[in-house]
Amino acid sequence: MPIDGQSTPTPGGSVPATVPETRRAVIVGANRIPFARAGGAYAKSSNQDMLTAALDGLIARFGLQEERIGQVAAGAVLKHSRDFNLTREAVLGSALSAETPVYDLQQACATGLETVVGLANKIKLGQIDSGIAGGVDSASDAPVVVSEGLREVILDLHRAKSLPQRLQILGRLRPKDLAPLAPGTAEPRTGLSMGEHQALTTAQWKISREAQDELALNSHHNLAAAYESGFFDDLMTPYRGLTRDANLRADTSLEKLAALKPVFGRNLGADATMTAGNSTPLTDGASTVLLASDDWADARDLPKLASVIDAEAAAVDFVHGKDGLLMAPVFAVPRLLARQNLTLADFDYFEIHEAFAATVLSSLAAWEDDEFGRTRLGLDGAFGIIDRSRLNVNGSSLAAGHPFAATGGRIVGTLAKMLHAKAASTGRPARGLVSVCAAGGQGVVAILESL
Amino acid sequence: MTFQEPVVLAEMPSLSKLYVNAAAQAARRRLLGTHDSAVLPEVSHEARGVTVGVENLTAYQHLIGETASDVLPAGFIHAVVFPLAMSVMNRDDFPLPLLGMIHLRNSVEHRSPLVFTAVLDMAARVENLRGHRAGTQVDVVAEVRLAGASDVRWRGVSTYLAKGVFLPGIDKPTAVAGKADFTAPDPTALWQLGVDTGRAYAAVSGDFNPIHLSVLSAKALGMRRSIAHGMYLASRALADVGPARGDSFAWDVEFEAPVFLPSRVALEIGTEQSCSGAWKHSRYVAWNPRSGRRHFSGTVSALQPLAGWPA
Amino acid sequence: MADTYTQLVNSGLGRNLAKKLNLPQPAVLRRYKPGQPLVIGPVVVLGDTPGADKLAAELLSWDLDVRRHAVPAEKLGAIILVLDGLQHPSDLEKPVLAAAGSLRDLRSGGRIITLSHPSAEASSPETAAARQGVDGFLRSLAKELRSGATGNGVLLADGTTTTSPSALGAVRFLLSGRSAFVDGQFLTVSTEDGALPAEPERPLAGKVAVVTGAARGIGAQIARTLHRDGATLILVDIPAAGDQLATVANEVRGTALQLDITGADAGQRIIDHAAQRHGRLDIVVHNAGITRDKLLANMDHTRWNAVININIAAQLRINEALLASEHFRTSPRIVSVASTSGIAGNRGQTNYAASKGGVMGMVRATAPLLASRGGTINAVAPGFIETEMTARIPFAVREVARRLNSLQQGGRPSDVAETIAFLASDAAGGINGEVLRVCGQNLVGA
Repeated sequence: MPIDGQSTPTPGGSVPATVPETRRAVIVGANRIPFARAGGAYAKSSNQDMLTAALDGLIARFGLQEERIGQVAAGAVLKHSRDFNLTREAVLGSALSAETPVYDLQQACATGLETVVGLANKIKLGQIDSGIAGGVDSASDAPVVVSEGLREVILDLHRAKSLPQRLQILGRLRPKDLAPLAPGTAEPRTGLSMGEHQALTTAQWKISREAQDELALNSHHNLAAAYESGFFDDLMTPYRGLTRDANLRADTSLEKLAALKPVFGRNLGADATMTAGNSTPLTDGASTVLLASDDWADARDLPKLASVIDAEAAAVDFVHGKDGLLMAPVFAVPRLLARQNLTLADFDYFEIHEAFAATVLSSLAAWEDDEFGRTRLGLDGAFGIIDRSRLNVNGSSLAAGHPFAATGGRIVGTLAKMLHAKAASTGRPARGLVSVCAAGGQGVVAILESL
Repeated sequence: MTFQEPVVLAEMPSLSKLYVNAAAQAARRRLLGTHDSAVLPEVSHEARGVTVGVENLTAYQHLIGETASDVLPAGFIHAVVFPLAMSVMNRDDFPLPLLGMIHLRNSVEHRSPLVFTAVLDMAARVENLRGHRAGTQVDVVAEVRLAGASDVRWRGVSTYLAKGVFLPGIDKPTAVAGKADFTAPDPTALWQLGVDTGRAYAAVSGDFNPIHLSVLSAKALGMRRSIAHGMYLASRALADVGPARGDSFAWDVEFEAPVFLPSRVALEIGTEQSCSGAWKHSRYVAWNPRSGRRHFSGTVSALQPLAGWPA
Repeated sequence: MADTYTQLVNSGLGRNLAKKLNLPQPAVLRRYKPGQPLVIGPVVVLGDTPGADKLAAELLSWDLDVRRHAVPAEKLGAIILVLDGLQHPSDLEKPVLAAAGSLRDLRSGGRIITLSHPSAEASSPETAAARQGVDGFLRSLAKELRSGATGNGVLLADGTTTTSPSALGAVRFLLSGRSAFVDGQFLTVSTEDGALPAEPERPLAGKVAVVTGAARGIGAQIARTLHRDGATLILVDIPAAGDQLATVANEVRGTALQLDITGADAGQRIIDHAAQRHGRLDIVVHNAGITRDKLLANMDHTRWNAVININIAAQLRINEALLASEHFRTSPRIVSVASTSGIAGNRGQTNYAASKGGVMGMVRATAPLLASRGGTINAVAPGFIETEMTARIPFAVREVARRLNSLQQGGRPSDVAETIAFLASDAAGGINGEVLRVCGQNLVGA
């Protein structure tokens, strides 16, 4: 049946008849630094500083000093041109062996999750035995660039050969060229900020202010409870005096959230429902995840929390308004589950990145919508319902903050630990789904299973 | 229409000279009184062996959000041929005053791609003088071919209005088509147009019409602020439609409220696909997000390439 | 680094000035560095018992320059008085006066060591008097020594001799630069257990050790010292100190375990971590501790409980888990950090002194439980140690506290760490339930 969407294959349908045997990629553990609000505790720390701190904490946790890791993959969304080798520089500054190779990766907010997926695949293929996936972002130490006019003058001056040429080039400089430009958060092709894009999606799926505030409240309460129980003791290393995520408001309430004024969507005609309380703030931070083959982990007596089962990426045409900017996971998840022959009921935990409360709620609404399931996902009806008691149970980005590339590592580390604990307490395997939306209409989703 | 030998210009006319000439003509006509001819010159102006500057092309592509490919954007060709079109309207026997004419509509058939190394022959003429409730409108037709070839690769029809000019023998349209109420849809894009938008487009298109350049120059011509070039807006919309449009397409735009600078412009750009999922056409509409007034709207649709043309 | 004053009085001008003004003249102490000789210069072994002969023979086998009689005017590294045959106080005269003749020849950083039996085990009043006399003699002599020389005693309990493994271990420790800030102290060897290390420079090779409170100060130094001596380390501190903990862990190539030791499951989590990562646990150093000083009249519930919970209750709970664990069965070692405050008391530290007194009580009572599995538990009681914590004491008070000991200076974290490393080693296997002060023989608690 032709649909105006991204069809979901019938379960098992897209798997080649003979899948080559591959080995498992296991998650040994993770480490991150607490996330700071932009301009806060890490205001003067660079991406390299924070990534090194997160790496050093991971190395200390697992005793990886002088270890030559198969490969380290990390990245940042807001990146200085001087950081062309960000991850390598961080590794050289860490306690790892200087002979550890790395690669930098950039996939907007999905960077962190994609590094996990990429390294897990390399481990499965036998190309490496160990890997550290990571991500870092600083909204405080963001690159500021010179204007296009000044940049051209500088480059042309460099190419000029004679003094008259140089003077002539300098003569092109205008006062306005001297003003620096800060990085914009607007999508280049639409000029709309991420919040404005989500505001359109929010209106489209009729997500209420109350539902968004409630999700935000749960995020804060869940994260606060996780801290109280010591959940993050072996997932986090303090940095620059921060011992908890600075954005966490354990004492927030629906009344406090309801008092906030909408910030997105006011100029777009739609009812504005998105506030600073139900949107993630600009954040600084870094995260890392240690991945390994079974053999490598066993040889070092390392724990094995979970394994990376499978992943799927998707993208949507938001430029022409066909789908919301942050709705790509809505298509990726059904495809991934079909390939693995799973339904939403087969999962113990769901970790859906809270770019905005409304992003999560719009995704859930799309999956619960009969017509969307038929006409856009190519299913017989609605994709399914997520048990909200299994969603972001230890808090997510609304409370923790969202240093773009660091979010994937935060979620994978958190989920792996939860799955391991669940399996240990129930005696049966536990399964979790990770979903991260990203700028440019992208999304990456993955399945983890307990070990 | 009787056939007349085309006027072949030795080189592409200079737009700035044309604007000066137009100003002089306007003054002369004020002095001598408008001539009351209601007949368009039937001559075509041609320029042969025209080439484009690659630096200028790149600057144009970047400004409107096209990738700097080797193919000339449809709007760029419009800018290249524009001085030739102007030269026709600048003729003494052209019955309407050039200065102050308003661009109402533009319609381009981009039949097959032209690359930046191509040597081009261009032709422009005016036709279809007719009434408008607010004055008199006329079409300027421009055609571009590869040098020495006969088939038209690019054809543009620009409709201009000489506001307040009523020529003898040309009737106002009897029924004024009531404008449909416009309700702004959800935008898919939001443009932030700086005060220098007009100057930037003038620099890459060569169209230094004073109404686009600065508040002062615009005020000299009776505008309260400078306004964005219509073809800049339409070209950006075309760029936003993206590569789905393919190599061969028809591109129409209808201008309504001018975009005063600086300003924010909201757009909806939507695509329609055929049952098989192939792109059929895109529509775009732009409006002022504050007032809700429509600035312009248009379509880009597939054009079947004629058999025998190079792929 | 020595403190500024110690540096000053050890420079030319400062030395003269200090002499003229009769100011304290603290020496730069001889501290252990790998590769350095055990002791610099000849070692005189005084005493005519079989124990003395056997000890002298053993020391010869360590390639030491051993003398049975002092050669006049020869600079000496150490004088060892073997007093294991005392039966009457008058028996002290001969060896003591022999030592007296050599005292001026003792090098700076030299050592006086007595080996004798505990008076409590004496069979007659005369013997007891003689043995207890050693105590007073040695503590007084230690106060007469200058130039960083120290005097300490080894007490040989029933069934042990001068050449029992831990007696030799103790002699070795006391001769070495490891004991630089241990002065005027007695160490009891109670059993024949223990063994001298195969590699003297890596006495903890193959051992897995946990250090609590390892993120900074003395704890971090303990970690560095145990690492230097060959141990594999698990470093524990509260999650909030995790960044410093990670730095120390990466320096000593150990693993960082962020946990609150007052948690009910802290002991089990430590054991689980050790079992998973290393399959064993040999040494636990209870170093984590806090101070919340207030005069008792101003003491509140929070201050009192925080100190008691962290400094002693947590150790008791963790020990309980350790004693129940199958992974802590092979010659296990526990070393607790007590304090001279817990011995001598300190104004404003009723809570702290109660907790540290508690540590000493716990150590003595737990010793038999560990002995049954070939293990030991001991405590180290530091005096005034130059740390971030003591750096916050007001200058004048700090300066007084620092000089009020026989060595006229504060100790370093490494001095505490060296003693802990010794007590955690196989060489101390026969030392159990002891509290060893590392205080430069100070007069008050700190």
